[in-house]
Amino acid sequence: MSTAYPLPSGLSQATVTNTASLIRIVTLALISGAAIASRLFAVINFESIIHEFDPWFNFRATKVLASQGFYEFWNWFDPTAWYPLGRVVGGTIYPGLMATSGVIYNILHALNLPVDIRNICVLLAPGFSALTAWATYMFTKELKDESAGLLAAAFIGIAPGYISRSVAGSYDNEAIAIFLLMFTFYCWIKALKQGSAFFGMLAGVFYFYMVAAWGGYAFITNMIPLHALILILMGRFTSRLYVGYSSWYAIGTLASMQVPFVGFQPVKTSEHMAALGVFGLLQIIAFAQLVRSHLSSKQFQNLLFVAVIGTGILGSLAIVGLTYKGWIAPWTGRFYSLWDTGYAKKYIPIIASVSEHQPTAWPSFFMDLQLLMFLFPAGVFLCFKQLRDEHVFVIIYAVVGSYFAGVMVRLMLTLTPVVCVSAAVALSTLLDTYIDPVEPLVPEEATPSASGDDSTTTSASGSKKAKKPAGPTESTTAQSTPKPRSRPGIFGLDTRLVVIFNAFGMLSFFVFHCTWVTSNAYSSPSVVLASANPDGSQHIIDDFREAYYWLRQNTPETSVVMSWWDYGYQIAGMADRPTLVDNNTWNNTHIATVGKAMSSTEEVAYPILRKHDVDYVLVIFGGLIGYSGDDINKFLWMVRIAQGVWPDEIQEPNYFTPHGEYRVDDQASTTMKNSLMYKMSYYRFAELFGGGQAMDRVRNQAMPKQGPTLDYLDEAFTSENWIVRIFQVKKEDLLGRDLKSANAFSQGKKRKRSKPTARRRAIV
Amino acid sequence: MRFTHLLPLLPLCWAASKDALNTLVDLAAASNGLINLDGNTFDLLTSPKRNWSASIQFTAMDQRRRCAPCREFDPSWVEVAKAWSKTPKEHRDQHFFATLDFDNSQATFQKLGLQSAPVVFVYPAAEGPRQLPSGRTTPSKYDFSHGFEAGPLAEHLSNHTPIPIPYKAPFDYAGWTLTAVGGLAFLLTLRFISPILQSRWTWAAGSIVTMLVMVSGFMFTRIRGSPFTGGDGSWIAAGYQNQYGQEVQVIAMIYGILAATIVILIVQTPKQASPNRQRMQIYAFTAANLLVYSILVTIFRVKNRGYPFKLLF
Repeated sequence: MSTAYPLPSGLSQATVTNTASLIRIVTLALISGAAIASRLFAVINFESIIHEFDPWFNFRATKVLASQGFYEFWNWFDPTAWYPLGRVVGGTIYPGLMATSGVIYNILHALNLPVDIRNICVLLAPGFSALTAWATYMFTKELKDESAGLLAAAFIGIAPGYISRSVAGSYDNEAIAIFLLMFTFYCWIKALKQGSAFFGMLAGVFYFYMVAAWGGYAFITNMIPLHALILILMGRFTSRLYVGYSSWYAIGTLASMQVPFVGFQPVKTSEHMAALGVFGLLQIIAFAQLVRSHLSSKQFQNLLFVAVIGTGILGSLAIVGLTYKGWIAPWTGRFYSLWDTGYAKKYIPIIASVSEHQPTAWPSFFMDLQLLMFLFPAGVFLCFKQLRDEHVFVIIYAVVGSYFAGVMVRLMLTLTPVVCVSAAVALSTLLDTYIDPVEPLVPEEATPSASGDDSTTTSASGSKKAKKPAGPTESTTAQSTPKPRSRPGIFGLDTRLVVIFNAFGMLSFFVFHCTWVTSNAYSSPSVVLASANPDGSQHIIDDFREAYYWLRQNTPETSVVMSWWDYGYQIAGMADRPTLVDNNTWNNTHIATVGKAMSSTEEVAYPILRKHDVDYVLVIFGGLIGYSGDDINKFLWMVRIAQGVWPDEIQEPNYFTPHGEYRVDDQASTTMKNSLMYKMSYYRFAELFGGGQAMDRVRNQAMPKQGPTLDYLDEAFTSENWIVRIFQVKKEDLLGRDLKSANAFSQGKKRKRSKPTARRRAIV
Repeated sequence: MRFTHLLPLLPLCWAASKDALNTLVDLAAASNGLINLDGNTFDLLTSPKRNWSASIQFTAMDQRRRCAPCREFDPSWVEVAKAWSKTPKEHRDQHFFATLDFDNSQATFQKLGLQSAPVVFVYPAAEGPRQLPSGRTTPSKYDFSHGFEAGPLAEHLSNHTPIPIPYKAPFDYAGWTLTAVGGLAFLLTLRFISPILQSRWTWAAGSIVTMLVMVSGFMFTRIRGSPFTGGDGSWIAAGYQNQYGQEVQVIAMIYGILAATIVILIVQTPKQASPNRQRMQIYAFTAANLLVYSILVTIFRVKNRGYPFKLLF
């Protein structure tokens, strides 16, 4: 046996194994460290703060859980949200995230480590990313071997596609959900491979945890049945599949029904019917196999076959019938819009309006996954080459995941794990092939496939095949069939070095890319903004907190704040004031009411505000410093959502110029100029420029010299960079006049009386 | 005071609107339920004394006007108007469908300040029992954000008609026949093509092509309706959040080539028995990998101007 480079000799097998496992453990620890560290940019660049919008609610709920205990949290009714309706929080959330932090908090306090609950919440996502790396390692190990597992763990540890949802401070359900997703899949694969009821049960338990943690659990609910169904169609029904699936489904479904927010959905909604249907199908097939093994009569077997098919058809007809009758709820809009992509924009603008529900353009894929993007198809190809049961799973996941990620930006998150796994399989096979020191013999006879200390593809797949003789369409790769020619391999050292050098070059580029993307794109808390001073130093824009703390310290605790729903959770979390609508968009009409108030004239909006006891109205305005995520840019969605409920009063085309442009300058349409949102945004804006030309820096339009006036609201507070503007709603006039004429009177303007003046003038 | 002044006039205007109504009914009946307006009939139809409502399409069908959307929208409009003309007479005569072509009355377009076509205005009844509760008499504009199809149009206009428009999408004979024939052909040839269907490589090709197309932003172009290329002939759209149809093809091809170099290096090259030929292959495919990857990064730098890294160029 000739080798391309000298190998150390005289090492016992035990030494090699021990060293290898030590290196594996150290590597995994380092990967976890890297995964956590790269998520800390946000804390270092800014501070330990909760990010964005939804995390503020989760944080608030966790505080309730930590301070008042689980039972109080479970029964928590929040009267300050959705004023005046209130919100039953315990029954309308996925409590997994808060429960996790609560448990960690209690453990640490039991150990006399008085860690602040906020720091636990901020650092939960990085911590769980380390666990995700480990789960991915375990999953990939089942697919190929340990080396691929380590690569996959490293990939998912630093891939921006996952970091985008798990930086420190991004305290959201996804933070723990990806770990649960990967671990449930790992248990499922393990259960399937071993026919183990224990792993099936473990998959069920982690499925329950996932259900308790994230609405995306429906992905698992449909992936596992799809995998099982395709295995059946491929003729790969085994008792292992039966045991694994049945134990997962029975335990997982019963457990998931304990979450109040889910309740009886697993037997009543279409999202869960696939799992139920496949469960039934498996029982029928298993029964048929059992009967068949006990009978010999050919006719009876035929009859049985017909009976099985018939039962299957009847079962699916029953499901269809029940759906028509309304016993089973049809697909909910959020899931339905994944299939019929135009559906959401037409019927549920509130879903279509969310920026993370937009379709994904290719630069986002490349930004989030870079190198992995083209290793991904290569890995899927290699899966097809082997095509064991677990490879079928990865293939299905890859196809389904890439479709979903294409439809919605936020589902990039569910694609990322499979991309990492599949890319790791491809890259580790490449490295295996080219690091393997064994050179093939040049001309003559074949040598027995001798393997050294490292496991090559050949020996790995060969040994697994020996363990698992089942499977009619087992792979017959070129390597495993003995051929008269030499065992395939690579000649020479330079060839090895070229490929390995290229691979390591790509990998280090990937590391630089990930670090850059993470620090630049995904580490902004969005509550605090950063910009650069002329000398390059960082300038922090802290308008949001400034304004929220103003509300907290200067207004009565009961005063109701109205804003667009995006800011509801932040106002509740930071200003601690009741809000009309928030990011839990369960009541479309209530949101449309706010939209109507914002997009109507002051006279129309005022009764709405008064009826809802609104004391303050908060708008986000970016025109001064060029903050593009402001309310004027979101305004059309408010109009659209309001139009959905009041098509007679609010019409979107009225907010455009006759040329169909969306303008805010002096050419803006009258409806636009008179809308409450426009008036509040640009109130006294022109004065700021002291007679010069006022410019809106977001829309790059010159504003008119004479800004809008307000009669029914008073400016109460405007933050340093004008990002947040708060207006106080005036009370009714004490003399019973409408506020407009009262205002005109106090400014010394006389009421217009056209006829008398004309007469007087005629006399003069 | 004011009302007493008007009272003597009331029978007169009743009579006038009766006449106008009859004229409009005749006009509608004459042309399949869709009135072809000119300046005078437009004023008649939208007279401030109307106790009927009307939907009016403003269009420019003449070839010289080069209004492609007008011609695209017109069939849907005719269909919906036709569906309305089938309703019972007592409902039909309370709502009219009409078309005003730019070349028939440019003055009307100027009067309404219309500068683009097609536009659909719905005029509510200004008097009588069908007057809107809010008292609005000005027209409302139909929003084309749902496209030019007849279905959404009929659904929206039904809010303004006395009874819903009985519009049904025409049965798609061609589509169903094609599906049936295709299904039949599939069943007939099943035994011949089943080896292909059972081959894993058929499925591999299908899956990988699907994946490549999806991750190259195909769904983005579908949902957003991006054009294949830009108006100025450029194939690559400016901006990180945007892309043209051709980019899907180019990017999918680049990913495909890169994946292929990896797969060849893994699967094909080790089987090569001649050392020299193998060396050639390894160098060639590694170089191809590096080169195409550099091209990909360069294209990405066009999309994301702030990207600091580059490979070969």
